Amino acid sequence: MVPVQYFVGLSAILFTLGALGVLTRRNAIIIFMSIELMLNSANLLFVAFARAFEALSGQIFVFFVMTVAAAEVAVGLALIVAVFRTKDTINIDEVSSLRG
Amino acid sequence: MQANTLAILPEISLAVLAALLILIDLRLKPERKALLPGITAAGLLAVLALTLAFARPGAAPESIWGGMLRHDTAAFVFRLIFLFGAAVTCLFTIGWKQVERRGEFFVLLVLSTLGMTLMAAAGDLIMLFLAIETASIPLYVMAGFMTADEKSTESGFKYLLFGALTSSVMVYGFSLLYGFAGTTDLYALAAAVASGDLPPLGLLGALVLVLAGFGFKVAVVPFHFWAPDVYEGAPTPVTAFLSTASKSAGFAVVVRFLLAVFPAAVLPQIIGVAALMSVLSMTLGNSAALAQRNIKRLLAYSSIAHAGYILMGVAAASLLGAASVVYYLAVYLVTNLAAFGVVIIYFNVVGSDEIKDYAGLSRRHPGLAFALLVALLSLAGVPPLGGFFAKILVFAAAVEAGLIWLAVAGVLNAILGLYYYLMVLKVVYLDRGPDEDKPLPVRRAHMAALVVCLLLVLALGTVLGPMYDWSNLAAGGLF
Amino acid sequence: MVTNLLTDYWPILVLLLVSLGFAGIAMGGGLLLGPRRSSARKQEAYESGMRAIGPGTRQMPVRFYLVAVLFILFDIEVIFFLPWAVVFRQYYENGLGAFILLEMLVFIVILLVGYAYAWKKGALEWE
Repeated sequence: MVPVQYFVGLSAILFTLGALGVLTRRNAIIIFMSIELMLNSANLLFVAFARAFEALSGQIFVFFVMTVAAAEVAVGLALIVAVFRTKDTINIDEVSSLRG
Repeated sequence: MQANTLAILPEISLAVLAALLILIDLRLKPERKALLPGITAAGLLAVLALTLAFARPGAAPESIWGGMLRHDTAAFVFRLIFLFGAAVTCLFTIGWKQVERRGEFFVLLVLSTLGMTLMAAAGDLIMLFLAIETASIPLYVMAGFMTADEKSTESGFKYLLFGALTSSVMVYGFSLLYGFAGTTDLYALAAAVASGDLPPLGLLGALVLVLAGFGFKVAVVPFHFWAPDVYEGAPTPVTAFLSTASKSAGFAVVVRFLLAVFPAAVLPQIIGVAALMSVLSMTLGNSAALAQRNIKRLLAYSSIAHAGYILMGVAAASLLGAASVVYYLAVYLVTNLAAFGVVIIYFNVVGSDEIKDYAGLSRRHPGLAFALLVALLSLAGVPPLGGFFAKILVFAAAVEAGLIWLAVAGVLNAILGLYYYLMVLKVVYLDRGPDEDKPLPVRRAHMAALVVCLLLVLALGTVLGPMYDWSNLAAGGLF
Repeated sequence: MVTNLLTDYWPILVLLLVSLGFAGIAMGGGLLLGPRRSSARKQEAYESGMRAIGPGTRQMPVRFYLVAVLFILFDIEVIFFLPWAVVFRQYYENGLGAFILLEMLVFIVILLVGYAYAWKKGALEWE
């Protein structure tokens, strides 16, 4: 059996990749994908711990995270479309009429 | 089973209300859609009455639905706060052109309220996550609801990006906590933490990740960047809801998590973190508010500052601290709703949120100007209004916990805050405006909501007893 | 611990090496042995042998997006049937069959309300 530390390491790498993506990319959709990567790194950790503890709650948590992520993406894409319609761009540096 | 069902009566009735609103919206003739805000407000008030009548917790806190929820006074008092906030928000949406005839908006409002009530009652990490998202996702849509308006869509978009990012960080923190303790039940987690077997540094790391998510909900430094932009761009009724009910929901979770699950006795570093965030939020919020020309941005920074005051009660990490948080949130709810109510009424007539356009308000409509006066003075903490006693409570909690420097910082900040609230009142009362002789019509529903809020502001500052008792019971129910 | 991992998972490692090796040999062989002649027809995007119509980055009607999002939302909800099905027998044997059936009915009714909303608002109409 693969020890749980390996999964922790892998998920930490995935989480960092996602966080770096959020910080360095400027395209809203790519930022969203990076956020999904971060969520999935947490999912991986949940499943790994659930197997290590032989408990189900971690796996159920993953179900909920997945459905919530789907809802978040649906809302997110809708908002991105709305922003694109008013501003003709989804580059987050150019979406900045609110300042002060 | 029956007692369990009765305990979640507010949640069940909110879900039914949301489903009914969808169906009503589909059947309602277009010319009668203006009834929607009224129907929703009546429904929310009915849920409030049901909660008061049937969903009162017993003396001892209970775990229900397999530990998913807690049935205690904290959850009960916070439910009342959210339901009241949502109902008043509904009344203030009357007359907001792009929103008042859209059934979806009110469905989202009810669903968000449902999420908040679950946040206050959550006794399990799974339920907590689900509740936070149920409260947040509708708010993203509501902030960006005016799709033709550049500022509104941008506001919703920014809110969503920050929200999604912080919630993914929070879930990662949850997964680490699950890994340390092997359970998702908050109170089992608390027992595991209290046993001292878990690595303190690891716990602290996971806790910092989780705090990112909570900090976003309550808009404290350093997770506040979204607040001014989102508050300014969102439809003002949504801003009012965000700054009151949503913030209270965040604090409901923060007090339960930091006081019940991670008691300071086990992780003393938490006090330092909370105190630091508190002093930074107060100072940054108040000093940034000084420079604002837009009233919504000013109230946004003021709400960051108030989150700082409230965190002071959290940093105290005591029964009095928790009670002061609940009391402060109740006062802040009615006060800020009143302030935003005036902003909404004025915007509906004048079409501007700039502070300079408030010149001459006192001559144009003395009643409205007086409402703004009471609301802003209560925010500033002037006796005999609710804000004064709430501030006294958090300062007392900080002093009792030995955080005297924090209380001093709070007092200095309150003086700073008084200055910019008075600057707004100076424009309202002393400056002359061009339209002073034009009438300023105020809808009856708006006036009623405003008067109720103001009476409560006054009551919470003078008749302290009932709410103070509830706050204490709520604080006791957390543990 | 690493040796343990190797003994447990060496078939996967072997499979990985074999598949990489096969792909490498096939592609390398083609590169080394095959003749290379370029023509306009070969430069086109590969469209299963058909002649490609228009560029690949054409804009799509936003309708596709709407249907796709609705599909994802209703599709992912089915995930909750799984844990429900897992515990169903346990509840049934404890005499709580009616209760757990009702729970699922509540869930489905909520989904149906959403479906009715999407339908009535015309989100499912193509034109």
